[in-house]
Amino acid sequence: MKKTPERIESLAAEYVLGSLKGKARRRFERWMMESGRVRQEVWYWEEKLGQLSERVPGREPPESVWRGIERRLWPQERAQANPRSTRLWPAWSMIATAAALVLAAMLIQQPTLEPDLRLSGAIVQADVSDPLWLVSESSRDSRLRLRSVAATSAQAGKDYELWIVPDNGNPLSLGVIPVGDVYQVKLTDEARETLSQSRTLAISLEPRGGSPTGAPTGPILHVTKLYEL
Amino acid sequence: MTTRDPDQEELMALLVSVARSDRQAFQLLYKMISARMFGLCFKLAGQQELAEEALQDAFVQIWHHAGEYHSDRGTPLSWMLTIARYRTLDLMRSRAVRRTSGDEHLEHLEDQRGGPLDASLRSAGARQLTGCLDELSDVQRDSILLSYYRGFTHDELAQALSSPVGTVKSWIRRGLMALKRCLER
Repeated sequence: MKKTPERIESLAAEYVLGSLKGKARRRFERWMMESGRVRQEVWYWEEKLGQLSERVPGREPPESVWRGIERRLWPQERAQANPRSTRLWPAWSMIATAAALVLAAMLIQQPTLEPDLRLSGAIVQADVSDPLWLVSESSRDSRLRLRSVAATSAQAGKDYELWIVPDNGNPLSLGVIPVGDVYQVKLTDEARETLSQSRTLAISLEPRGGSPTGAPTGPILHVTKLYEL
Repeated sequence: MTTRDPDQEELMALLVSVARSDRQAFQLLYKMISARMFGLCFKLAGQQELAEEALQDAFVQIWHHAGEYHSDRGTPLSWMLTIARYRTLDLMRSRAVRRTSGDEHLEHLEDQRGGPLDASLRSAGARQLTGCLDELSDVQRDSILLSYYRGFTHDELAQALSSPVGTVKSWIRRGLMALKRCLER
């Protein structure tokens, strides 16, 4: 489908409204990734229609929601009883007027140190003496760094895409990786969890801009296993 | 949108800190906006459990993507509400949520010409969008607001408004374009 201005205009509005669904919605999300013009149009509607959201009456969520967020973002702290948040919680209902005070209180009660697990590895090719890429991952800032060493550009019109290969299920894309640079990607909880279990990364050759389907479509060029430091 | 709004400036400062992985700022941000966000999720989903899950997902996303906010995406608050709204819609779709309040809307519609949306929302929305919604036809406005606030699908709208799906689709499409023309005037 051609990205005519009229189509972009009307699909962006329906995307934000939510009435664009299923395949059409996914196709449009791809348009958003490809085109700044499309994103601009989406932002226009998010800003306009977003005003409707601001008028919906509030509703206090149960405390379990926040605990769930903490558990998902910092699962390694789960074992500890986390007295910090339970003790401070009641005071927070007055936060609007006492924001600065609470911040000060929380600064005193610094979070406990998290163990820093690191994964590391290299992507190598049999006939090249240097590694193509060096990989490192740190649980502390949940970032994965990929440094290209001897990697050469993908053929014209193609890109390399990095994947986490889980023990079971479909590979998880970590995006298109540039050559001759350090590529950093922030891992989501899901990605980190998956990677810490399988410790396997793969690189596939994809059309420019990355796989159009969300799964590898081109040949898998490299698979590497990371090890724990 | 007023850029001098102190609330928004505070939210902006918090977002900047969250983008630097500042957990204290994140907790404060949660405390400041979670009720508004949850109100929206609940209104859309019409059920507590799904709304809670959406709220949780939205904040996990905000933690990871705070650095992607910029002013073209509306105020910090509306950006975060948008994240919550999309997440709620996604969950509703994947669970094929059927609103229990559906029947109630139908009866309401038969009784009153005003349409199925409660008056408070209608007027609030109209004020916010500088009266442009008022210029739409009743059916266009109702279709748009029901999609927005309640996440009605085309099929559900067709049922609620007793009209063919194709008709409902064109109400939405034309309504949105008329809205844009009006907003750009």
